[in-house]
Amino acid sequence: MKRRALLVTGLGAAGALVVGWGVMPPRDRLGAVDALPAEAGEVSLNGWIKIGADGTVMLAMNRSEMGQGTHTALAMLVAEELDVPLARVRLVPAGADRLYGNVATMVTGLAYFHPRDTEPGRETTPAKAGQWVVAKIARELGINVTGGSSSIVDGWEVLRLAAATARARLLGAASIAWKQPAGELVVRDGVVSHASGSSAHYGELARMAAATPTGEVRLKRREDWRLIGTAAPRIDAAAKSDGSARFGIDVRPPALLFAAIRHCPMIGGSAGAVDVAPALALAGVERVVRLGPYGGSTAALAVVGRTTWHAQRGADAIKVDWRQRPAGGLDTGDVMAHLEERARAAATNDGGFAFHSRGDIASADAGAVRHVEQTYRAPYLAHATMEPINCTARVAAGKVEVWAPTQVPGLARTIAAQAAGVAEDAVAVHVTYLGGGFGRRLDVDFVGQAVRIAVETGGRPVQLVWSREEDLTHDFYRPAAVAILRAGVGADGLPITLRVTSAGDAITPRWIERGVPSLAGPVDTPDKTTSEGLFDQIYAVPHQRIAHVVTLSGVPVGYWRSVGHSHNAFFVESFVDELAHAAGRDPVDYRLALLKDAPRHAAVLRLAAERAGWPGQGRSRPLEAGRARGVALHESFGSIVAQVVEASIDNGRPRVHRVVCAADIGTVVNPGIVAQQMEGAVIFALSAALHGRIDIVGGVVQQTNFPSYPVVRLAESPLVETHLVDSTRSPGGVGEIGTPPLAPALANALFALTGVRLRELPLRLAPQRA
Amino acid sequence: MEILVNGAARPLPDDLADPALPLLWALRDLLGLTGTKFGCGVGACGACTVHVEGEAVRSCVLPIGALKGRRVITIEALGSAEVPHPLQRAWVAHQVSQCGYCQSGILMAAAALLAKNRKPSDAEIDAAIANVCRCGTYPRLRAAIRSAAAALA
Repeated sequence: MKRRALLVTGLGAAGALVVGWGVMPPRDRLGAVDALPAEAGEVSLNGWIKIGADGTVMLAMNRSEMGQGTHTALAMLVAEELDVPLARVRLVPAGADRLYGNVATMVTGLAYFHPRDTEPGRETTPAKAGQWVVAKIARELGINVTGGSSSIVDGWEVLRLAAATARARLLGAASIAWKQPAGELVVRDGVVSHASGSSAHYGELARMAAATPTGEVRLKRREDWRLIGTAAPRIDAAAKSDGSARFGIDVRPPALLFAAIRHCPMIGGSAGAVDVAPALALAGVERVVRLGPYGGSTAALAVVGRTTWHAQRGADAIKVDWRQRPAGGLDTGDVMAHLEERARAAATNDGGFAFHSRGDIASADAGAVRHVEQTYRAPYLAHATMEPINCTARVAAGKVEVWAPTQVPGLARTIAAQAAGVAEDAVAVHVTYLGGGFGRRLDVDFVGQAVRIAVETGGRPVQLVWSREEDLTHDFYRPAAVAILRAGVGADGLPITLRVTSAGDAITPRWIERGVPSLAGPVDTPDKTTSEGLFDQIYAVPHQRIAHVVTLSGVPVGYWRSVGHSHNAFFVESFVDELAHAAGRDPVDYRLALLKDAPRHAAVLRLAAERAGWPGQGRSRPLEAGRARGVALHESFGSIVAQVVEASIDNGRPRVHRVVCAADIGTVVNPGIVAQQMEGAVIFALSAALHGRIDIVGGVVQQTNFPSYPVVRLAESPLVETHLVDSTRSPGGVGEIGTPPLAPALANALFALTGVRLRELPLRLAPQRA
Repeated sequence: MEILVNGAARPLPDDLADPALPLLWALRDLLGLTGTKFGCGVGACGACTVHVEGEAVRSCVLPIGALKGRRVITIEALGSAEVPHPLQRAWVAHQVSQCGYCQSGILMAAAALLAKNRKPSDAEIDAAIANVCRCGTYPRLRAAIRSAAAALA
C-alpha cells in the first residue's frame, strides 16, 4: 500500500505532468447494476441510473450537498441526456462502491503542473502519460471526496454518458417492442413515442431496457441542450426555506441520546486525572467516555446525556487535569517567526522545493534595472461552518450505522469500523445535508469520536454535537504562510525575473496520515497545495523560480475553501499590483501586458474591468467620492476569475461596497448557481480578509466563538455581480474559485485609497508589523 | 411543565424540564422540532431565532423557565406547504439558500421585522438581520426581504 501511495504523490516530484482526467475513458466508470440495487418496482440500468415504475429517473448521488448546489447541477446533467424535467430526477444515496470515487480531485490535487503544459489539445507527452496513470490509480482507489471544486469536473462525462446509455437502452426497448427504428422515436419528458401512435413512459420500458443491448450511444449536441446552461432553480430550495431540510444535527433515530465533548484545551494534549462525579451528579447525565485522538483530533472527554444541553452541562462540570503535549505548547507567534526565518534563508540560497523553474534567473537578474522585494503573511484560519461539528452513530449487534454531514463517506466508514472494532462492511454511512463544509468535513475525527461513544451506550444511538467553542479551538486550520517575492524589473517596468520563496505547513500529507493512514508514505512528497497559486501563475515572466519551504509546525492543518490559493493569490496579486504602481502603470494595463500569451486570462480581466467601469477599459464610470477600486486575477481549480473591488474607509475600517466578478469556468451548467457561489466565495473571503485570524498561545486557541472570531454579516456585505465568459471547453471548478482574488483586490483598492500597502492578512489599517 | 409552541401546549418530561434549559434544546431534543438550529450557544449568530409573542428571540439563550406561558412560533409554523409565508416564496424565487443551515433563523428574524414594518429601509433590514451566514447569502436575502415586503404592501 505504501508504494502505491508514493507513486500517486510522487508523480509530480518525478516530473510527470497531469491535469484533468480526460484520457480516462468515462465508459470505465459506468458501473454495473449491482452497484445500485433496485428496490421493488425499480430497474437499474447501470451503476448510476435506475428507473422507477412510474418513470422516475433515480440518480445515484455520490457527492455531498453543502450549499454549493452540486445536487442540482449533477441532476441537470442526467435530466438533460434522458430528456426528463429536472423534477423527475430523484437522488438516491450512492453506496460505498469504488465506482463513486472522485477521480478528478485526486488527479488535480495530487500532482502539480504548470497550466501551459496542460492546455487541452496542447498537453506535453509526459502530461498525457502522467494524466493516464494518476487517473488509473485514482479510479482504483475510488476514494469518494466532495472537495476541490471537482464534482462537475468529475461527473461531466460520466453522468452524461450514464444517462445517455440508459436512454439508448430505453429507446432500444421501445424500438423492439414496437418494431420501429430507434431513429424514429421521440422522447419528451420521459415519454417515448412514435408517429404510428405507440407511446410509453420510461417506467413501462425499463424492464425490457435492462435486457436490451445498448447499441450506439451519443451524447446530445451542445445546440440541443435544453437544461444545461439555464439557471434552473435548485432542487433543495423549498426544503431550505421551511425548516424541513435534514442536516446531520437533525437526525432523530428512536431512543436517541446526546453527547457533548470537551477536548484538552491545549492542542495535542491529553487528560490526566479526571473527576467525573460532578457531571454524573447532574440530572439528565448518563455517562462519561474518555476519547483518545481520532483522525488527528486532540484527546477529549465526552458526556452522554438526555439532551445536548444536559450533556454539555455535564461536560462543563467534569474536573480534569489537562496535560500539555510532550513537545510543549504551540504558539503561533513562534510559528510565524519560524516560517519567516525559513523563507528568508531559502530565498538567499535557492532553498526550498522549486515547484516551477524556467529561464536562468541568476544571469537574467543582472539585466534588471532594479529589484522589488516584499514579504507577505497570512494567519491560521478556522472554517466555522454554520452547522457545528456533529455525527450520529448506533453500534448494535455487531453493526454500525452512522449519520454524518461528511465530505468523505468512505473515510467515515473506515474510521467508524476502526472505532467500533468491526469490519468495514458492517458499517453503513448515511450522508445528510451539510450545513457548510469549506473543507472541514474532509476530516472524520468527529465520526470516530461518535462511534466510540456509541460503543458505550448499550445499542442506543447517540448524537455527538460539538459546541462552537470546541469547533473553533479544535479545527484543522488553514495553514499560516509567509512568502517573499522578489522581481527583477526591466526598463519598461515589466518583470524579467520572479523569485518566490514561501514557507508553511503541507496539508495533504497530514490529511493522508489522519484520514487515509494506509496510504501515508514514510516521507512527505512535495504538496501542491503549498505552492498552488504561486508556481502556476500565468504571467509572462521569462525567468522564474517558485519554491516552497515546507514546515512542520504541529498545528493541525486542513483544507479550507480554495486551500493554498486562499493566501497565495493574496501574495502574488498584491505583488503584481506593487510592480504596476512602481512602474507608474495602470494595474489593469500592466497585467494585460503580462498576459499577451494568455488570451483567456486577458479576456476575463478585461470583462471584469469593463463591467466595473475601470478607467480606460470601455465605458469608465466615475466613483463616489472617498471610494477606490482594486483588481486581482487568479486561476484556480481549472477556472479563471477576475474581481474588481470598490472600497472606502468607514470609521477607520475598510468597507467593501461592490465586487464585480468575471469568470471563465468553461461550459456553464447552471449560471444561477455559479452566481450564488461567486457571491458566497467573495463574502467568505471578505470575512477572512477583514477579520480572520486564529492565534494559539501555550497550545490554546484564543478565538472561541463568533464574538472573538467575527465574520461578515449583512450590514458589512457588498453587492456582488457575476459575469461569465462564453466557452465551450469542459467545465472547470466553481465552488472555491471566487475566494482567492478577493483579498488582494481589496488590499489593492485600499492602497489606491490610502497609499498604504497592507501585506499581512487580515487587512488592518492600523500600522502593521514593521 | 408545558410550553406553547406553534399553537399547541407541549408537555416536557419533568425530569428534564429544568427551568434553565434553553428553549432551543427543548424544541430540538425534547419536541423534535429540528428546523430551529444550534449555531453558537451564546446568542451571537441567530441560527436559533424563533418568535416569542411575535418578537424575534434567540432561543439558545432563552431559558424555558422565562417563557411563563408566552407563545412560541418556530420555522415549522411560519407558513405551510400549501400557503408558504411571502418570505418563503421570495426565498425560493431569489434562490437565497446555499447550505441552508442558517436560513430558518434568518427567515424568522425577517418575518418579525416585516410583521411590524412593511417598508423597512436597508438600515432597518441590516439592524434586524444580524444573523451569521457563512455561505454569504446576504445580497440575495436582502433582495428577497425587499420583494416580500413589496408583496405584503
